[in-house]
Amino acid sequence: MAFRNYLRDLRTIKSLPKSARPKAPILAIYSAEHRRLMGIFHSSRHEEYEELLSSLGSFMEEEILPLSPKIDVGEAKIAGPRKALFEQGMCQIPFPEEYGGLGLPFTVYANAVELLGTADASVALSVEIHNAVAEGLNRFGSADQKQKYLPSLLSGKSLASFTLTEPASGSDAGTMATTATRKGGEYSIKGSKMFITNAGEADLYMVFAKTDVGPSCFLVGANAPGLSFGGDLKKMGMKGSRTSEVVFDDCRVPEENLVGEEGKGADYAKEILHGARIIVAALNVGIAQIAYDKSLAYARSRRAFGKPISEFQLTREKIADMKTGISAGRLLYFYASSVKESGADFSSEASQAKVFATEMSLKVCDAAIQIYGGYGYTSDELHRHWRDARLLTIGEGTSEVLRLLIARREMARSQ
Amino acid sequence: MKIAVCVKHAIDEAELKVDAGGTPQFAGAASKMSTFDKNAVEEALRLKGTHSGDVTLLTVGTAEAKKTMKEALAMGADRGVLVAVDPMSIDTGRTAELLAAAAKKAGPFDLVLCSEGSSDIYSGLVPPMLGELLGLPYVGYAKKIEVTGQSAKVERSLEDSVEVVEASLPLVVSIVSEINEPRYPTLIQIMQAGKKPIEEVTPESILPGSKPATPQFVGMKAQAMARKKLVFEGPPEETAKKLVDALASEGVIPR
Repeated sequence: MAFRNYLRDLRTIKSLPKSARPKAPILAIYSAEHRRLMGIFHSSRHEEYEELLSSLGSFMEEEILPLSPKIDVGEAKIAGPRKALFEQGMCQIPFPEEYGGLGLPFTVYANAVELLGTADASVALSVEIHNAVAEGLNRFGSADQKQKYLPSLLSGKSLASFTLTEPASGSDAGTMATTATRKGGEYSIKGSKMFITNAGEADLYMVFAKTDVGPSCFLVGANAPGLSFGGDLKKMGMKGSRTSEVVFDDCRVPEENLVGEEGKGADYAKEILHGARIIVAALNVGIAQIAYDKSLAYARSRRAFGKPISEFQLTREKIADMKTGISAGRLLYFYASSVKESGADFSSEASQAKVFATEMSLKVCDAAIQIYGGYGYTSDELHRHWRDARLLTIGEGTSEVLRLLIARREMARSQ
Repeated sequence: MKIAVCVKHAIDEAELKVDAGGTPQFAGAASKMSTFDKNAVEEALRLKGTHSGDVTLLTVGTAEAKKTMKEALAMGADRGVLVAVDPMSIDTGRTAELLAAAAKKAGPFDLVLCSEGSSDIYSGLVPPMLGELLGLPYVGYAKKIEVTGQSAKVERSLEDSVEVVEASLPLVVSIVSEINEPRYPTLIQIMQAGKKPIEEVTPESILPGSKPATPQFVGMKAQAMARKKLVFEGPPEETAKKLVDALASEGVIPR
């Protein structure tokens, strides 16, 4: 209901004259399509999962979606809604109960992130990064590290950040310049990381730095000596999430903060990012969904040549292509999630989902601007979705690198 | 403090479709917890938090109504009693009789809370009937409830005033939505709600020998709102006067 109200509130877009403002369609963030897919992928317990997602969707409609336009223009911060979302249990979904998780399938978590992407993309990005760190800790951390950090991460009492990319290295993580040198019972980390989400806000940083035997993974607390942050980078979209440089100037961390084994950091980062790519795909399906919902409502109410523009074939072609893309993107991330849950290698499926969904999302948001015409180009309320989506053909693995990964993996599988 | 809350699994009025003839399409319509019942549950939980005790849900409905009960259990209610009957097959009086019988069976309660009306039918008749059938005082349209010992001070939200009354417990109170903001259950609370007990009873088991009235459903039509679509043309000083005159003649504003 709140989603409909929100769409009705689009009438408050100042740049749109009354005649050009959309009428609200009947829909909700958590839709019948999500239910059907969950019924297919998790037929035995889908009703339970639907109940959880429906409740979470209602919460997002009421508490996050209305803030989203304000977050984009800097009139609202994401910390409040993110905290409220953590309290609802968003981050607990895919993790073991012994650390305060809910022990639910990854698909449920991915679907929840899609809903969050519809409600507000920058909150979703911040949460996704936070949970990627929790996933890494859960997979590669020691029992002590899990016991120490996971409960507060899953409850949202502390926020995490994933620091891999550097000013001069991205997907080629092996070339990273940041170093970690063992000195007595601790490591000294030197270097810097770039484009880091949640930097400066997070309580815990998962840091990748080179030791003598190669890239290694460390946990660095926000108060560690020698840790500092650059200013909040000015981005075209995802404006609510803080992004900045993280600088390590002889930053000292105790040796027990090494995650897993020295020299395995690049492997850990890859594994963590495979899962995160499914989530990024889901997030982008969520962005595409709201751009589509808005443009469908607008196409029905905007009239040209005496009839709604939704009556014109060329508008209908756009609507058909937008919807088809969204459905396909959703299927791909559900499928990749199910492969991950099966325990099989899912790197190709995750990358396929991310490449397709992020590129699809850009196309859908672009078509939405086209349908809105001049109002689409001049209204933050619409073009912010394109600006948000634009990040994710780059972040967490560019489309170019992921295509290479897919091809390499599929060629190996076919041998 | 033992509190009962009456909750209804209602038709989602926002999703209800109306056919070309103006008849609401109930078959297959979406359903949900009656909107204001969430406020009643929230108030019960708030009072429980202050005075300790427990909260029991009373529902008249089909097995489908367990969804609503589970939602209220996730919010924090302790147990539920479901009187298994299709609420569309009985009238308001019978609903009140069954809720009263369920309250007697599961009670006694210090407080029975209802919302002012269900969000689908909204007759507002069940709460006062319930007070009468239980032989308890009834206070309607509460926007604030303060319980001290064995009495309650209730602020009643009336159309143009607020009335403050005191009544002794046990008591039946209907609440208005402004009384509070319902909480969202967390995911873990939703998962744990399935373990809380819902006792299912039949009308015959709690009201043996009683014969319900057999109302005949004649029909229901959506009210068509005709727009007058008046357009006033001319310079602003003239059109403003015409608009004021038109509004006054409709009784929207005083002359």
